[in-house]
Amino acid sequence: MLAPRRTEIALAVILALEVALFGVLGQNFLTGANAFEIVRLAVELGLLALALTPIIVTGGIDLSVGSMMGLAAVTFGILWRDHHFPIAAAAVCTLLVGLAGGALNAVVITRFRIAPLIVTIATYSLFRGLAEGLTGALDTFSNFPQGFLFFGQGYLWGVIPPQLFILLIAAVFYWLLLERTIIGRALYAIGLSPEGARYAGIPVQRRIALVYVLSGMWSAVAALVYVAHIGQAKSDAGNGYELLAITAVVLGGTSIFGGSGTILGTLLGLFAIVMLQNGLRLAALPVELSGILTGAVLLITIGLDSLRHLGRAKPQSAKPRTADSTDESIDVKNSQVAVLSAVILAGSLIVAGSNWWLVRSLRDVHATSTPSHRAVQIAVMPKAKGDPYFASCKRGVDDAARELGLDPIWDGPADLDPAKQNEVVEGWITRHVDVIAVSVSNQAAISTVLRKALADGIHVLTWDADAQPDARDFFINQATPQGIGYTLTDEAARLLNNRGEFAIITGALSAANQNEWIKYIRERLAAKYPDLKLVTIRPCDDDRDRAFAETQTLIKVHPELNLIMGIAAPAVPGAAEAIKQSGRKDVKVIGLSLPNLCKPYVHDGVVQAVVLWNTHDLGYLVVYAADALANGKLKRGDTSLEAGKLGKIEVRGDNIILGAPFVFTKQNIDRFDF
Amino acid sequence: MGENGAGKSTLIKVLTGAVTPDEGSIELDGHAVVHNSPAHAKALGIAAIYQQPALFPDLSVAENIALGLEKPGLFRRIDWNERRRRARTLLDSIGAAIDPDATASSLSMPEQQLVEIARALGARAHYLVLDEPTASLTTREVDKLFDVIRRLRSQQAGVIYISHRLEELFEIADRVTVLRDGAVIETRSMADADRATLIRSMAGREISQIFPKSPAPIGEIALETRGLSCAHNGIHDVNFTVRCGEILGIAGMVGSGRTELAETLFGLNPATGGEILVRGKPVRISRPADAITLGLAYVPEDRRRHGVILDFPIAANLTLADLRGVFASGFLNRARERSLGREYVDKLGVKTPSAAALVSTLSGGNQQKVALGRWLLTKPSILILDEPTQGVDIGAKSEIHRLMVELALQGIAIVMISSELPEILGMSDRIGVMRGGTIVGTIHRADATQETVLGIALETAS
Amino acid sequence: MRREWSLAAAYAALLIAMAFIAPGFFAAENIRDMVLANTPVLLIAIGMTLVILTGEIDISVGSQFAIASIAAALFAKSGLPMLAVAAGAIALGWLMGALNGAFVAFLRIPSIVVTLATMAILRDSLRWSRGGAWVQNLPHSFQWFGFSQAGGQAVIVVIGAAVLALFVYLLRWTAPGRAIFATGSDAEAARLAGISVQSVRFHVFAALGALTGFAALLNSVRFEDIQANGGMGLELKVISAVVIGGASVNGGRGTLFGTLLGVALLAAIGPALTFVGVNAYWEKAVQGAIILAAVGFDALGATRGTHARATAH
Repeated sequence: MLAPRRTEIALAVILALEVALFGVLGQNFLTGANAFEIVRLAVELGLLALALTPIIVTGGIDLSVGSMMGLAAVTFGILWRDHHFPIAAAAVCTLLVGLAGGALNAVVITRFRIAPLIVTIATYSLFRGLAEGLTGALDTFSNFPQGFLFFGQGYLWGVIPPQLFILLIAAVFYWLLLERTIIGRALYAIGLSPEGARYAGIPVQRRIALVYVLSGMWSAVAALVYVAHIGQAKSDAGNGYELLAITAVVLGGTSIFGGSGTILGTLLGLFAIVMLQNGLRLAALPVELSGILTGAVLLITIGLDSLRHLGRAKPQSAKPRTADSTDESIDVKNSQVAVLSAVILAGSLIVAGSNWWLVRSLRDVHATSTPSHRAVQIAVMPKAKGDPYFASCKRGVDDAARELGLDPIWDGPADLDPAKQNEVVEGWITRHVDVIAVSVSNQAAISTVLRKALADGIHVLTWDADAQPDARDFFINQATPQGIGYTLTDEAARLLNNRGEFAIITGALSAANQNEWIKYIRERLAAKYPDLKLVTIRPCDDDRDRAFAETQTLIKVHPELNLIMGIAAPAVPGAAEAIKQSGRKDVKVIGLSLPNLCKPYVHDGVVQAVVLWNTHDLGYLVVYAADALANGKLKRGDTSLEAGKLGKIEVRGDNIILGAPFVFTKQNIDRFDF
Repeated sequence: MGENGAGKSTLIKVLTGAVTPDEGSIELDGHAVVHNSPAHAKALGIAAIYQQPALFPDLSVAENIALGLEKPGLFRRIDWNERRRRARTLLDSIGAAIDPDATASSLSMPEQQLVEIARALGARAHYLVLDEPTASLTTREVDKLFDVIRRLRSQQAGVIYISHRLEELFEIADRVTVLRDGAVIETRSMADADRATLIRSMAGREISQIFPKSPAPIGEIALETRGLSCAHNGIHDVNFTVRCGEILGIAGMVGSGRTELAETLFGLNPATGGEILVRGKPVRISRPADAITLGLAYVPEDRRRHGVILDFPIAANLTLADLRGVFASGFLNRARERSLGREYVDKLGVKTPSAAALVSTLSGGNQQKVALGRWLLTKPSILILDEPTQGVDIGAKSEIHRLMVELALQGIAIVMISSELPEILGMSDRIGVMRGGTIVGTIHRADATQETVLGIALETAS
Repeated sequence: MRREWSLAAAYAALLIAMAFIAPGFFAAENIRDMVLANTPVLLIAIGMTLVILTGEIDISVGSQFAIASIAAALFAKSGLPMLAVAAGAIALGWLMGALNGAFVAFLRIPSIVVTLATMAILRDSLRWSRGGAWVQNLPHSFQWFGFSQAGGQAVIVVIGAAVLALFVYLLRWTAPGRAIFATGSDAEAARLAGISVQSVRFHVFAALGALTGFAALLNSVRFEDIQANGGMGLELKVISAVVIGGASVNGGRGTLFGTLLGVALLAAIGPALTFVGVNAYWEKAVQGAIILAAVGFDALGATRGTHARATAH
């Protein structure tokens, strides 16, 4: 129970391997600055993992921690912005909300005696649902006071992120609770033998309830840190964190059956995961590899552990536990692990120092060569790597790169995730790339980190969706949200002869750019088309199948609809398929999507118009602009830019204009292939 | 037959192949049985019904019965009607009015037992071993069971019927074998046996162990119950007292409610009727923490599941029942725990290299000492011991007894539940005999003999 | 059967409410669309029921679904006839499930941990290899199996019903099916009764995988092209349906009838909310509340079985 097991040593070894591997592969991995950035990333996840540790020690689980982050974030935003609470009061109330959520879990688990897995699956839905309901999923809160944001984005003494102290406080709190107090002792007993604990007079249900209540509270703290970190409070805060947190805990040696585990183990597991992600990023390896490797490491570590146990005692008891959770043959002391870790750390620091010096000197060598011959390192980030729209932009990026002889990095979150975008940019800053080009998921969140990049001497471009103007050098504007919104509305009006009813299928209710377009659509409707009515807006979560289902329902609920407007790439083909299968030839379909996705429907006459721009050209232009910027060929005050086969591109102030939105119809769509 | 701990259950386990004997042999129909195993025994036609029914809780009665004997092809269609019919037939043959479609977990314990009997019968057992089968049956059900046993007998099947209910044995048995301390004492035809001789066989032994019970000054009443009942575990109208410095032995056969009484006293299964008085004051004990606060302590019967936490070190086990007391600040104090561990390991004579060793590494006797030590640490005024020396070697046994005497001398009131007659007789100042969920008789040390105690314990409720 | 009846009652109540508030809900097209969209979910839920009956769980089905969908499309594109495509999808699903099963049954790693890992590994492997690209320009024999729309839809429903019937039969009328219940009810007793518990555990995960592959196919043929990231949130939906349907998370208890009702209930909530005019973003909250209500309701009348075997869980 109390002595660390071989798993923790295995973990320390894995950590060491990671440090060694990424020290070689990743640029600037082993620097002090990077170490602190790793910490910053680790805090939110770490708070959840710490809170989960005692829960898993008692043999339970809590899947609702990520969703509670969302609910807490939203509560914080509402209290502060809409009810004008002072920040501190809002924060306290947010913690209370966390306590309440944890209490709900606690009561249902201990009073109703329902399995924690089921209860927390339910609250996982419930909390996130409440967060989305309260904000309509799209409302986001930002512009928090600087004092608050400092906790998430600032530096103490120039290097240390303030949230590190919050993580330390949480770690100390939980270490004390779990390993140093009588409550913790009771928790281990409960995990090993709930009946045995009961016979010893331990108030089993009370102790279990406590850890769930605390989990809710610390999830709320994590939410506050998250909001301070990325500068916005939104209902999708913490999405997907619960599984990473559980991975960290289990990786750290805590048995999923209960009865064993340490805070140190959880921290080691946490850092193993975070370092993996960070290292991969710095080595310019794709983000998907991180998920694959994390899963593989988890399986291997637990698998090895399990094999070892299988070789020993035969399982006696019937149902719950077959794994014996202690190591009798080797009694490893805490102190030994500490020494081991210290040695590894010291070794890494030595390597770091020399590596850093090496990199530094290499850069100096590079700096002496003439600018125009320098190979520029560009880093391009889409909003979501998995989105076919961005996949098609990438083809343009690749073409331009080929022409210019460059090797740009293409990385970003797999799905919409503003926090991830920040992380990736941080990694690029550490790597000290030359130009960063981002398609921004969320303005407020990204601008802070982009400003940091600028301050560091890195050039910053935004494309497709802008950040705050002072956070970047130029914005590549393929079409303004206003232009998009107006074009869509005008097309709809044209097809319906300025009168009728239509519905919108959007991507995610929380997607910022799509909400901007909707804003302009409404504006245009009010100004020019009084007889054209927008009946409802339904989300499809960027899932074509869902857009299909929503459209099917919509035309039944509102049989008077004349047109469906899909404003996310998967939405248009989804809606089109639904209309086609329903045989409702009287319902038109238009939207913003990729021509290739819609071609068959356009030819069938189901989709009348697709609004977009040439994504290929957009990606192409990004690379050319970035290259020009890095080489000093593009500066403020320029009115045009030479962009390879695109010719002369207009530059207006700090906007590089690709062109106006383009309407693809049956007549012209075959000319394009993206 | 034999008293508790005579070796009956172990014998069954050997017969059914669950346990391998160290010596000796089993002969079946003149052939030696080699390499016995549960499957082998089953194939040979040996079936055993234990006291704890082992049914699948979520499956139906018919299915439980069927799984015990079917060997169908992989995808051959199961005939539920056939299953139901067979179950119905088997259940009827033992007079059990149980619905074959009922879920096993919804049945009462006696009903589950009946299903198990039906299952064994269905498996065409030639040799049926019944371990205390009538413990929870009504007279009517017992009669039906006996009919079946007689029928089996007439079919040349053999039945080993283990029971402590002498009257039943007189009714159904042809021969009787008495076990004591793991050995056969005698086998005689039932016709030649009478109550007194049988009891003497069961009990009679040299009390070679010296139980050093020196008289302790007996003080005022520490614990008293009046009409204590608990609807959930079957105890009812329990009245007894135990005084400071006194050791009250609780005797009785398995199923008489001794452990249940202890659990109710300790708040694990709180009382639903009657009164408990601690030092003269009526108290409410609704959870173990209440009992502990009042100065009670309970060393349970199931050492491995309830008495200790096997995967905890010795020292951690010792402090578990009084964490608040040992660590007043709420924080663990490793040094203090270590020294307490050493202290109690010495005091109790626990054979271990260190107090940091896991309890799972200790022998049964030493584990019991740790279990006891945990409660001694709480400085109780009333100590309830449930089978304190069960599965404990001779050396440890006398050490534990010596300890008990010391505690009594310190003025602690001790309630000792035991199935070992010599222990009961040697250690107790008074003996309460339980049967059917209540105390049916109390004997003073001076008047107690093994026969008298057994006699009270074994009388059937008519 | 208590849960099934209370669930059926709740469902009936919902339907009655809809009859008053939004009778359009009962239009034939709506029912047909709901059935078609949820037949794949039902198939996976059947498999999940098997897994949960043995006391395990599998949260990687969404990732398996996504991979099988893309694979089916790629098989079709490579020119294989539909029958081979179907076989391929099912086989691929079986393999993915078998991977989980091997870790759970033979290495004895807790299923929540195994499927947590495989969920990430599978999903990210797919993302990495596809880079978000859809599979388009499928041969005409793909959509609706090459039949007409009505024909294809009928085929899907019939297949769904057939699979349901098959597994109802397997669970109730064959030894392996009963072995699943026995394993979940008391693994030790099952072992003693001669059941190979390892084998049972392995096969239920493999079966779930195969069913997921099949479901992916049935879903994919409704469209002309296949998206890159299908199956998001699928595991949650399926597990909720099974649990709402009355299966015990500890294993040993549950019916396919209950699972069917659970799928039907969850399937109806989305459209019902749209019909009633409730905003889409309350859906998750409603789903969570329903799960809580369903299990809480059951626990209020706690059966002896639940209580007796519940430890800290």
